[in-house]
Amino acid sequence: MRRDLDKTIWLYTMLIMGAGLIALYSATYQNPRVPHKIFFDQLIGAGLGLSLMFYLGRISYRKFYDVAYVFYGINIFLLCLVLWGGREALGAQRWLQIGAISFQPSELTKLSLILMLGRYFSNRRPAVTFTFLSRTQKIIRDLIFPLILTGVTMSLVFKQPDLGTAILLFGIFMIMLFATDFEYKYFFMFFGLLICCVPFVWHLLHPYQKDRLLVFLNPNIDPLGVGYTIIQSKIAMGSGQLWGKGWLAGTQSQLNFLPERHTDFIFSVIGEEWGFIGTLFIVYCFFMLINCALDIANQVNDPFGKLVTVGIVGILALQAVINIGMVMGLFPVVGITLPFVSYGRSSFLIFTIMMGFLLNLSKKRTVF
Amino acid sequence: MRLKIIRISVIILFLLITGDLLYVQVIRGNYYYNLSKNNRVRIVPLGSWRGLIFDRNGVVLADNRLGYNVLITPQEVKDLNEVFAFLEDVLGINEKKLTTTYQNKKTAPFAPIVLKENISREQALMIEENRYRFPSLFVQENFERVYPFNDIGAHVLGYVGKVNRAKLEKLKEYGYSPQSTVGYTGVEEYYDSFLRGVEGGIQIEVNSRGQQVRILSFKDPVQGQNITLTLDSKIQTAMRDLLGDSRGVIIAMDMDNGEILGMVSSPSYDPNLFTTGDNQKAAALMSKNNSPLFNRAIKGAFPPGSVFKVAMALAALDFQKIKQQTSFICTGTYQVGDKAFRCTHAHGNQNLIEAIAHSCNIYFYHLGQMLGVDAMNRYAQELGLGNLTLIDLPYEQEGNVPGRFSKKRGAQRWYMGDILNFAIGQGDLLTTPLQLLRMMAIVGREGDDVQPHLIKNIGDELVTKYSFFRHVAIDPTAYQLVNKGLRAAVNTFSGTANAADIHGLFVAGKTGTAQTSGNQDTHAWFVGYAIGEQRKIAFCVFLEHGGSSQNATIVARSLLMRLQEQKYL
Repeated sequence: MRRDLDKTIWLYTMLIMGAGLIALYSATYQNPRVPHKIFFDQLIGAGLGLSLMFYLGRISYRKFYDVAYVFYGINIFLLCLVLWGGREALGAQRWLQIGAISFQPSELTKLSLILMLGRYFSNRRPAVTFTFLSRTQKIIRDLIFPLILTGVTMSLVFKQPDLGTAILLFGIFMIMLFATDFEYKYFFMFFGLLICCVPFVWHLLHPYQKDRLLVFLNPNIDPLGVGYTIIQSKIAMGSGQLWGKGWLAGTQSQLNFLPERHTDFIFSVIGEEWGFIGTLFIVYCFFMLINCALDIANQVNDPFGKLVTVGIVGILALQAVINIGMVMGLFPVVGITLPFVSYGRSSFLIFTIMMGFLLNLSKKRTVF
Repeated sequence: MRLKIIRISVIILFLLITGDLLYVQVIRGNYYYNLSKNNRVRIVPLGSWRGLIFDRNGVVLADNRLGYNVLITPQEVKDLNEVFAFLEDVLGINEKKLTTTYQNKKTAPFAPIVLKENISREQALMIEENRYRFPSLFVQENFERVYPFNDIGAHVLGYVGKVNRAKLEKLKEYGYSPQSTVGYTGVEEYYDSFLRGVEGGIQIEVNSRGQQVRILSFKDPVQGQNITLTLDSKIQTAMRDLLGDSRGVIIAMDMDNGEILGMVSSPSYDPNLFTTGDNQKAAALMSKNNSPLFNRAIKGAFPPGSVFKVAMALAALDFQKIKQQTSFICTGTYQVGDKAFRCTHAHGNQNLIEAIAHSCNIYFYHLGQMLGVDAMNRYAQELGLGNLTLIDLPYEQEGNVPGRFSKKRGAQRWYMGDILNFAIGQGDLLTTPLQLLRMMAIVGREGDDVQPHLIKNIGDELVTKYSFFRHVAIDPTAYQLVNKGLRAAVNTFSGTANAADIHGLFVAGKTGTAQTSGNQDTHAWFVGYAIGEQRKIAFCVFLEHGGSSQNATIVARSLLMRLQEQKYL
């Protein structure tokens, strides 16, 4: 049993943050589309996040258990508020302005959903052999009801529209469901049913979302329009080669061939300027962080802590893999950011809260 | 257990990602590196100054002039209609036409489109003054080719234009880009490699909007070399005047060294049309039915008619079938089987010199019968007929000299009638005017063949490539006899070319009236040479469907008199 898991979390979180800040500096210092000051915003956000992480590491994670449902309720209210009077940017209503601060409730949803599902799934008593619960009741309790709860936030987020986050939320649900003792048989039946539903979901998508998915299948459909981003990002990645073109010297990023390079496509800045060595480093850090979280989940006896950790593992892994895959043209461009690296203070703070949760859990894991 | 599955899935996902990173960044890295380089590096070509073309006296035949083009950058357009409305006012081009040009040429948002080439200076100033209103428009300076003599000598000079796709395929290796200007036909094409110089360029780094970030490298264009031709613009002008609207060719060549002094093919065209970018007029030229773009002097293959009798006479003398005194009686017809071959008159008793002077068909029917097709073919080829003259112009045609095995006839056998037709330059025999001129020069110089050429100087260097000569090995007395005949055609009263007899000038030549297919008028030929005090000039006058050879002779007379007046002879 490793006792220094909290140190590992600190180490890799800070490594990723540091690399992210350096990359963000490069992505913004000569960017005509975004002011350079967002680098300093992010720097302040990082300081704030690290202190939050430190603070949360000291207070009991069980407090999250207490507030989980309330938190979820507030979150749903905020999501409704966004739809009703949120700030519009880039064709979507995602931001909520309170005074001078604006933030994205959809980022918050990631955390609140994990906590809510964690509490819900852990509350269920393990099924005893001679129980009166019929199979249907079990399915309703274990699958349908949490699915409805997830579905509420999902549809609110989807409505913004934010397809990427909606998919992520669903991913969280699936992973956490998988981590409960829900029977494999039903899990995979449900999974199969979902795949059958895909054509129906297609009709719900906005035309631009359909475009992105189609372009993902073949970026050359529209090389100057939607496919442009994928093509340019892939060129940026590949042209970094082994050692990269050097910090601040990436031609693809510095000459504005990469759109959205401070948010969704920051990984291609890293790929171009630091090469394969740089990308390998980032991927390694994420892997170690996730691995560490899984170690914690393994050693924790408390079902709430365990499920929430699995949820955090899920969101980290999904976001990292989908973002990197998106930049490499392996996934459609759905607007999913790279945790700790992409610009975005809401997302940054949510992830530090998650890390804080893990820190505290890693300390308490042997208590039970 | 379930955590283990999650862990394994995460490991697999991360391995896949790493594998793809390895593939894209390391294995295919070079490919993407080049793509990124192409992304940001643009080459702006700098056109070179095309070499000028001068005539032998230093008169400019092809010049360059500063021109202006209007270009538009699609990504900077705010309101297209407003821009086009403005341009309609300034340039007087229909808005619809501008829109179609714009849509046809649009490729990438950063790539400027040429809306109109060669606008006037005033128009260019108007556009530049309104630049603040329409930042998408700009005016580019470039050199445009100007031909001060318009249609005079257009066939020899050729014209210039942007490289077309077919040509680009061939010329790519020699550093031509789609923006390059290249010569089409004539000297412009043949000496393009000297005239064009070396295109320069600025290699610039651009950002994603195609805006210049910095200059990476700069290459100065190298000026093309000037060319001096053997042509004389005064002779050219005189020839053009003489031909007027009629179809035909006049060529004059210095017999001693093969320098072409004048070469005019009519109808002609104005090569300036191609540089002013007036596509409609240029296209109209191509489709005109009297084919003005066609250089008849080297591309037109026509039956030589009686001019071919010169070759026949030489062949018969060299073959020792006849002697000077050999004579035949011309009764006006020549009977082969039940078919009668006619002569223009009943000439009576004709010896060789008289036969040439009077262009008696019967005499040459006899020679044809004696020589047979093989000998005729051999001597025709020896004298350059049916062969390229290798003059320094592109797309020369060979014409055709029939032979026993010539492709045109296939397996068909030779009848006597074919031989007789061949003997008087009809039938399948086709020659270009330049070939006949060259034959006449060989005869005039008694066997010394000079290479007709147009180039005198490239840059400051004298071109000596054409100064060799070939000797056509035919009995010298044969040449002397034929020359006597040619002279007699001009200076005897009954000679066919008597009209060209000019006081104080030695003129010799052979007329020809070639029958053509259908009911069209005959071709009129007069090919010969004149020996004056200044120089010896071989000339060829050809009038396509010009009627009797007398017409050609009269044209030749005027030409020679002008040359004499202007002290060229």
